[in-house]
Amino acid sequence: MADKIKITIIGGGVGGYPAAIKAARMGADVTLIEQNFLGGTCLNWGCIPTKSLLHAGEVVQTMKESKTFGISCKGYSVDFKAVVKRKDTVVKQLRQGVEGLLKAKKIRVVQGTAEFVDASTVQIKDTGEKIKSDKILITSGSRPGTLKFKGSDGSDVLNSDQVLALKVLPKSVVIIGGGVIGVEFAQIFHRLGAKVTILELLETLVPGTDKEIAQSLEQSMVAEGIEVITGAGVKEIIQKKGTNKVLYTAADQEKSVSGEKVILSVGRKPDISSLKVDNVGLVHENGAIVVNDRMETNVPGIYAAGDVIGGIMLAHVATMEGECAVSNALGKESIISYKAIPSCIYTDPEVASVGLTEEEAKENYDIEVGRFPFYACGKALVINRTHGMIKIITEKEFDEVIGVHIIGPRATDLIAEAVLGMTMEMTVEELAHAVHPHPTLSESMMESALSLYGGAIHMP
Amino acid sequence: MPVEIVMPKLGLTMTEGQILEWKIKEGEEVKKDDVLFILETEKVTYEVEAPEDGILAKIVSQNNETVPVGTIVCYLAREGEDLSDLDIALPPAEQEETIAREDQTTPPVLDQVAQTGDRIKASPLAKKVAKAYTLDLFTVSGTGPGGRILRADVEAAHEQKKSSVVKSEVQPVSAAEDRLVPFTGMRRAIASKMLASKVETAQTYMSVTVDATKIVEYRKSLLPVVEEKYGVRVTITDLMMKITAGAIKEHPVINTRWTEKGILYLGDVHMGMAMALGEGLIVPVIRNINNKGFAQIAIDRNELIRKGKENKFLPDDISGSTFTLSAMGMFGIEQFTSNINLPENAILAVGAIIDKPVACNGEVVIRPMMTVTLSYDHRAIDGAEAGKFMRTLKLSMENPIQIFA
Repeated sequence: MADKIKITIIGGGVGGYPAAIKAARMGADVTLIEQNFLGGTCLNWGCIPTKSLLHAGEVVQTMKESKTFGISCKGYSVDFKAVVKRKDTVVKQLRQGVEGLLKAKKIRVVQGTAEFVDASTVQIKDTGEKIKSDKILITSGSRPGTLKFKGSDGSDVLNSDQVLALKVLPKSVVIIGGGVIGVEFAQIFHRLGAKVTILELLETLVPGTDKEIAQSLEQSMVAEGIEVITGAGVKEIIQKKGTNKVLYTAADQEKSVSGEKVILSVGRKPDISSLKVDNVGLVHENGAIVVNDRMETNVPGIYAAGDVIGGIMLAHVATMEGECAVSNALGKESIISYKAIPSCIYTDPEVASVGLTEEEAKENYDIEVGRFPFYACGKALVINRTHGMIKIITEKEFDEVIGVHIIGPRATDLIAEAVLGMTMEMTVEELAHAVHPHPTLSESMMESALSLYGGAIHMP
Repeated sequence: MPVEIVMPKLGLTMTEGQILEWKIKEGEEVKKDDVLFILETEKVTYEVEAPEDGILAKIVSQNNETVPVGTIVCYLAREGEDLSDLDIALPPAEQEETIAREDQTTPPVLDQVAQTGDRIKASPLAKKVAKAYTLDLFTVSGTGPGGRILRADVEAAHEQKKSSVVKSEVQPVSAAEDRLVPFTGMRRAIASKMLASKVETAQTYMSVTVDATKIVEYRKSLLPVVEEKYGVRVTITDLMMKITAGAIKEHPVINTRWTEKGILYLGDVHMGMAMALGEGLIVPVIRNINNKGFAQIAIDRNELIRKGKENKFLPDDISGSTFTLSAMGMFGIEQFTSNINLPENAILAVGAIIDKPVACNGEVVIRPMMTVTLSYDHRAIDGAEAGKFMRTLKLSMENPIQIFA
């Protein structure tokens, strides 16, 4: 029997650990190096902890609206420490789960920071151990982006990692950056009881999202009581005792808003800072490692995947890329496809989309747009979540579904149907003809499709 | 009405069946499930049973007859039915109609293309796009998950189909009905001869492009003379046959036959000329062409064409050629290859005369050019020999006056 192929994976986040498991399944001898916690950003400082906090906010919301359902709730209080503890419990349990999975697959997990020695060797900075292997996969992930301006380095100015480490709930928060991370933090702190202001440089929240959907989200957040200021260019943060004055210009006027804490949520940057990639001549651009559609870098035998290659920096994309890289590294050709990648915002209402936005679609196709509002969906009324809609974009020639955008209850779960469909090259006909269970939110998907294909049933 | 019993379709690929044996005689009584006749396809023999009680009123297709699927082979009369008005001389059109008809009384059609069509692994979008292109998805290979056909695969296949010179054999996915035309004797003969030509010889090809200026001029001056004297019009083909025969005389290896014992060199040149006739192909022969002038060749050719049209060929008119010439100028075909007309060893494919820019004494001039292609059996004729023949042919064509040399 031939020797097993040795593969070393640098980074145990959602790019790295699923790749490690896949490599082990494919018969490789796998070493996984993690400098911090298994599960990486997603599990420890991103997806999971923020969703845990968002859910706490949803519980608050449920209490607030309990009267609507005829349930009287005699007051509630937010114990922020307990909320954080719950979050930490969830994270810890999932992390232990990952450890268990890796152990079961006999994957060697090395704690430490990896540095490249040569194209087949990495050294653990902390212990000096040199690890030689046939293939190396870099999944070192990303770190929070920063903005440099006067006062941006103040002690009350927090990035997302620092926000998640807060032990005390701030009374007021100014969030700079109204992207996905910003709006989620906004709702968390608002619902847990803080006064929240979002400053977004562009004209709408969540730039890049379908405009109609983004506007709908903004309306919803404003209606809830979150202050949203768009077109706001932040100039300076002046730290005073217990408060921070954030100076910005909007509509050519100098203005300011104050908060106990300021959150900088201006995206994330690929992180290759500790890898010493120049030792092996890896090509990188703007900090992101350059790869081809097989996840191969310019150095034979070295692959990269996930946030560290830039592109779409989402957990599920990292996982897909990591698996693609491992396939190629172990001799099974795989070419990455970014055709139907869902992206989600876990606010209430949730936002989820796949494919082209209406604006993008118009540039390339002759399109039709179908919409179905949740207020016409029985199940949405039952759960008192009628804000939002499902919007389907098709091209007219063959009725291919080229974009689906949802704002509303459980949008992030509902989008999976559209992802499957678009992966299979569905046309609107299939979506309209598939029988959807009643009463469910998913009926809105069928109704939206029907509005493009013969007419919706529950719309005049 | 008597029950019509048709040749059943036993499988996807079955197009015809042969009646091997009638088990019931005309006029005999049959019970339901009695074996009426045995049929044979390329793959199986099959017993066809009576769908109900009755009398075998009329046998339409006799023993050993091969008929297309769906053709009525007999009529079964129910008790008390009047058989006198039974018209057995069905026009062919009506026979074809029965192919499409689903009759409960006929044996079941076992497989249908439509069912298979549903099972194809292709994305809904790919199916729609294929339909728009009238492209059969069975001819497309998929690159999606599990070999699924995606739109990109259909687009690729469509591009390939568009750019392919060879006409695709696939049937378009359309509503038009399929039509089966039974083989004629001539078609079968052509088929076996063409196949034999491809399979049994070492066919090789060689082309040369010739300046046809003089040949055109030569014909121009001959035309009024011959027409006035003999009442026939000399064609370029007539000139080509004569010139080719002259070149053959200088290269006897071209005028040979492959035999068991050796290569048979033939003394005389009998020129075959490939001719389309109705729905087939035939090669009438101009005998001893080297002894004939242009006028006689034109007269012979006209006579052969007339006989062909009137279906009056005698065996001698269409056999015994030693070399064949096939001309496609009338279709504007610039260059093509012909299948050797066995048992000959070579055939010449003569293309259209087309005005083209050519280099002449360092200048670009427009000249009428013609490309001729020799197909030769490399077993008998070496490439060098073929080349020498083609050189002679080219020289003769460019200087037709040397016929008088």
